[in-house]
Amino acid sequence: MPRVLFGPALRLLPIGLLALSLQRLVFAVHPVHDVKLQFVLALVVAAGAAGGPDRGAVAGFVLGLLYDLNGTTPLGLVALAYGFGGMTAGYVRTLVSEPQWWIASFFAAVGAAVGELSVPFLGQMIGDDGWITSRLLVEIPIVAGAAALLCPALMPIARWMVGVKRKKWKVMVE
Amino acid sequence: MFASLSRRRVILLVVLTCLLLITLDKRGNPVIDRARGVFATLIMRPVDTATNTVVLPLERAWDGITNYDDLKKERDALYDQVQHMRGNDVKAQTAILEAQELLRVTELSDALGYTAVVAQVVGDSPSNFQNTVEINVGTARGVKVGMPVTDGAGLIGKITKVFPDHSIVLLATDPSYAIAAQILATPEEVAAETEVSTPSGIFVPDSTTTSSTTTLPFDLPDPAISTTTTSSTLPPVTTTTILQIIRETGALEGQGIGRPLVLRFTDSSSAVTSVRVGSIVDTAGGNSSLAPHGIPIGIVTRVVTETGSSNAVVEVTLNARLERLNFVAVLLFEPNQNAVGR
Repeated sequence: MPRVLFGPALRLLPIGLLALSLQRLVFAVHPVHDVKLQFVLALVVAAGAAGGPDRGAVAGFVLGLLYDLNGTTPLGLVALAYGFGGMTAGYVRTLVSEPQWWIASFFAAVGAAVGELSVPFLGQMIGDDGWITSRLLVEIPIVAGAAALLCPALMPIARWMVGVKRKKWKVMVE
Repeated sequence: MFASLSRRRVILLVVLTCLLLITLDKRGNPVIDRARGVFATLIMRPVDTATNTVVLPLERAWDGITNYDDLKKERDALYDQVQHMRGNDVKAQTAILEAQELLRVTELSDALGYTAVVAQVVGDSPSNFQNTVEINVGTARGVKVGMPVTDGAGLIGKITKVFPDHSIVLLATDPSYAIAAQILATPEEVAAETEVSTPSGIFVPDSTTTSSTTTLPFDLPDPAISTTTTSSTLPPVTTTTILQIIRETGALEGQGIGRPLVLRFTDSSSAVTSVRVGSIVDTAGGNSSLAPHGIPIGIVTRVVTETGSSNAVVEVTLNARLERLNFVAVLLFEPNQNAVGR
């Protein structure tokens, strides 16, 4: 139990706060085609791609919860959506144990698309109307593309954040 | 971290926790609201400050690199805008000054009791030997040859040529300009005259008391009657002095640009002693005059006695500044046609 609390959980919080701060101060004020790139989500999907679906889901939950606490969305909504995103990206680990960067990026993009798309759909489900518009057709590809581009750069941080070490293949020398 | 839980259980736990939180928050939970407040103020604010310290210089540097052209364009546009606004400011100030000038011009013509047409000087004489200006009103506004032209300070000349929409004004300083004028003694002079014994035959004082203010310069108080109230420890004593206006008439002639006008007395026996520097000169009026009675012209600046003669040449400086004319008023006074021809 202490290992759970003081291990990756402690790393998730400061990294998550820093990511949220960067999201608020940099990515929110420099939109691309009026779409705000989701740095926190990119970190979540990178964590998923690095650690698998369960770690991705937990990273999404924690970082999404910070997002919810900071914003006006119902607490748990973005946490759930990002949890789905992280989990989706993490499925790359079920296919390839050590994915190449471009495979990880691809899954990160899919995970980011799921995470970003989940927010309006979950909002709709709990009664917050008006989030599902045709604008999603522009938003989702841009957010997913940005996550794919950021994924290789964020993978080392995400790996450290969720407590995953790269496998080292040892050559048997006779 | 998740060794003790299976993958599915972890995900299920996450989903259920989220659903629980959403439910609590949607139903309105004060704990969550307080948690949001604490998170925003105590946690996010310091993190934002720290992030900003690092990010802001980088962001500015990046902006400087990537948006240099845009910033330059924006700066140029703002510079243009500032210049435009400065221009507008100057225009507004000019409009205010012109309005004040216009008001002064119309005040004088109103005081004279004649209908006037306000005009603007639109051109100067191309010649060095003609002292004229062109104004932007003509026959279409009722302007005729010979009509006197004034500005806010006094007479400036007369109309010599008239076209439908513009006219030529011969300025009073032109050597070909002449008008009947009179010198009015100032109140101080009158007081002096009443005290000093007057040599007989030198001048003929006009002892009539002015009854109308139209004979006086527009900006002077009525000198005919002055009331003085003295207040001291003694009971206040009010004294009323009736002043006399003394007139000397003559022909006022121009001498050229930058030179004062010369007044030659009609009566060669006019006394030199009655004319003093500082006396007011205005139009004398009359049937043969180009202008009505009482338009201010200027003040006496020099009195020259001709050697071997009792005649005096009086130099008069115009009230109006002819080199700075802008708005003028043409008095719709139709002078005697014989006078116009002169």
